Amino acid sequence: MEQELQVLWAAIVTYVVAGVVSVVSVALGKRPERTVLALMLGALALHTFSLGIRWERLGHGPFITMFEILSSNVWSLMLAYSIVYWWLPRIRASAAVVLPIMFVMMGWLMVVHPGEGHYPATYHTPWLYIHIGLGKVFLGAVLVAVGLAGVVLLRRAGLGVARLAVLPGDKQLDELAFRCMAIGLVFHTLMLIAGAIWAQDAWGRYWDWDPLETWAFLTWLTLVFTIHARVTYRISPPVHAVMILGVFVVAYLTFFGVPFVSQVPHQGAV
Amino acid sequence: MREDLAKDGIDIGGVAGALGGARREAAPMRLLRSVASLKVTLVLIAMLAVGLVIAFRFEHSRIWPMVVPLALLSLNLMAAIATNAVFRRQMPLLVFHLCLVAVLLLVSAGRLTYLKGFAGVTDGAVFDGELAVREQGPWHRGALDEVRFASSGFTIDYAPGWQRGATRNQVLWQTPDGRWEKAEIGDQDPLVIRGYRFYTTFNKGFAPTFHWQQPGGPELYGSVQLPSYPLNEYSQAVEWIPPGSDVAVWVMLDIDEIVIDPDDFAHFRLPNDYTLVVRVGDERTEMRPGDAIALGDGTLTFDGLRSWMGYRVFYDWTLPWLLAACTVGVLSLGAHFWQKFTAKPWDA
Ligand code: HEM
Repeated sequence: MEQELQVLWAAIVTYVVAGVVSVVSVALGKRPERTVLALMLGALALHTFSLGIRWERLGHGPFITMFEILSSNVWSLMLAYSIVYWWLPRIRASAAVVLPIMFVMMGWLMVVHPGEGHYPATYHTPWLYIHIGLGKVFLGAVLVAVGLAGVVLLRRAGLGVARLAVLPGDKQLDELAFRCMAIGLVFHTLMLIAGAIWAQDAWGRYWDWDPLETWAFLTWLTLVFTIHARVTYRISPPVHAVMILGVFVVAYLTFFGVPFVSQVPHQGAV
Repeated sequence: MREDLAKDGIDIGGVAGALGGARREAAPMRLLRSVASLKVTLVLIAMLAVGLVIAFRFEHSRIWPMVVPLALLSLNLMAAIATNAVFRRQMPLLVFHLCLVAVLLLVSAGRLTYLKGFAGVTDGAVFDGELAVREQGPWHRGALDEVRFASSGFTIDYAPGWQRGATRNQVLWQTPDGRWEKAEIGDQDPLVIRGYRFYTTFNKGFAPTFHWQQPGGPELYGSVQLPSYPLNEYSQAVEWIPPGSDVAVWVMLDIDEIVIDPDDFAHFRLPNDYTLVVRVGDERTEMRPGDAIALGDGTLTFDGLRSWMGYRVFYDWTLPWLLAACTVGVLSLGAHFWQKFTAKPWDA
C-alpha cells in the first residue's frame, strides 16, 4: 500500500509538472511539446505501475471504491489525451486547457481514502471490462472536445489570443470537437448496450433506472441534443463550445458524482 | 450549406406525385413536413430529458413524463423518414434512425408483455409456477404454469466480513418434452426455461421441512422458508399455517454454532447444532428430526432442515431483438460518421 501510494504521488507530481509546463509555455509563447509529451508518458508509466501493484495486491481491478474509480479515470483520460497529443501535433497547445481540468480530478484523488472495497461476485465477467473500457473511450473523446472548446472560448474571451494562434482556426477546432463528440456518442451508446447486457446477466434486468443508469441516459440525451443541434442550426463555435462543456459537466456528474453520492456503483451490485 | 440540405431534403416531387395532384396534397405535405422538423426534434429531446428528471424524482409519475415525449419523438422521426431526403442519400443514417424506432417499439412491446417476480424454492422441492411476488405487463401470455425445476443444492463462498462470493446452484429442470436435465446456475448464469429466466439471489436461507397428516387425509409435505440468512441472523422465525389446518404454528430456528464465520473464508451450509422451536398458542416444543406433535386437527412431524434459494424471475421475449436492433443501430451510426469524416479532413 505504501509503495503503491508513493508511486501514485510521483505520477501525479509528474502530471502536474507536465500541466504547468504546458500552461507556462503557452503563456510565454514557447513550444516545449516534446518535454510535455515525455512528462505525460512518464507519469502514465508510473501511474500504470501504481495501478498494477494495487491490482496485484487486491486481486481485482480499480473499479470499486471512489479512489479506484478516480485513479483509473485519471489514468484513462491522460492516456486518451496523450494519444491525441502525440497524433495531432496541431492541437497540442490545448494541453493548457485540458491538464488544469485534470488537476481537479487529481486533487480529489489525493484526498479520497485509498482503502479497499468489496468486489461483488457479479463483477467476474468480461462485460465489466467491455462496459468500463467503452465508457473510458467516451469520456476521453469528450475531454479532447472540451480542450478544443476551451481554446475557442478563451479566444472568444480575448484571453491569450496571440498565444493560442498556434492552434488552427475556430472553424477547424469546432469541426474536430464535433468529431470527438460523434466518437463519444458511438462509444457511449456501446457502453449503454454493454451495460444493459451485463445488468441482464448480473441482476436479471437490462435497465432499471437506478441513479447511474438514469444519469447515463441523461448524458446520452445531452450528447444527442448537441449533435442534433449542430445539424439543425448553424451554431457558432463558441455556442457549440458551451454545449460541449455542458455535456462534459453532465458526464462528469454521472461518472463521479453518482458513485460519490451512492457509494455503490449500481444499487443492484450488492 | 446545411439549410440548403434541409431544403433539398423535402422530397415534395416524389411524394406529391405519388399521391397525385400537387396542389391538393400541398397542405398535408406541409403538415407532415412541419411534424418532421428537426427543430421539433430538439424540443422533444429536451422534453424527454426533463421528463426523465421528473420520472426519476417523483416515483408516482414514472410513466407519462417519459412516454409522451418518446411517442412524439417517434412521430417526428417517422415523418422525417417519410419526407427528409437526407435519409435517402445517407443509408447508414436512415438505418440508424430506423433502429431507434425499432428499439422504442420493442421496449413498448416488452413493457406490455414482460413478467418479473420472485420465488423461493426449497432444495428438493419442485417449482410449480407459483411466484411469491409477481408483476407483469397487461398482455403477458407465458407458460409459467408449465415450468418445472428443482434446486438440488447450492454453495456460496464468503470472504471475511461476510462478503459474498460466487454462488453455484445445481438444478434439475424439465425440458418441454418431459425429460429432466441437470444444470449449474448462479450469479451471471440464469436458468432459462420457456423464456423465463431464473436468477439466484442473495436471498436464501434455511427451511425446516415437515409432513402433516390430518385424520383420514393424505400425507402432505411442506417446508417453511425462514428469513434470509445471514442477513437476518437473529430473526430466524416465521409463522406458518399447515395446509388445510387453521392452527397457526410459530417456527423458530435456534442455531448454537457459528455457521458462517465472519472472520474467515467460509461457505454457506446447513447448521449441525440447532434447536427447532415450535410454538402453538402458549405451548412451546423443541423438535429434532423425526419428532411429531399433535395439533388440534392433525399431526405435524419435523423431517429435518434444508436450504432454500430465492430466485428472481424475468420474462421478456424482446431481449434478443432489442440486442439485434441496438447492434445494427450502433454499427450504422459508426458507419455514418466514418463515411462523413473520411470524406473530408477536419482541418480542411
Ligand atoms: C433521439 C435519438 C436520436 C439520435 C441519437 C439521433 C442521432 C443522429 C445523428 C448522430 C445524426 C448525424 C449527425 C451528423 O451526421 O452530423 C442525426 C442526423 C439526423 N437526424 Fe437524428 N437522432 C435522433 C432522433 C431523431 C429524430 C426524432 C429525428 C426526427 C426528425 C431525427 C432526424 C434526423 C435527421 C433528418 C438527420 C440528418 C440531418 C442532416 O444531416 O441534415 N433524428 N441524428
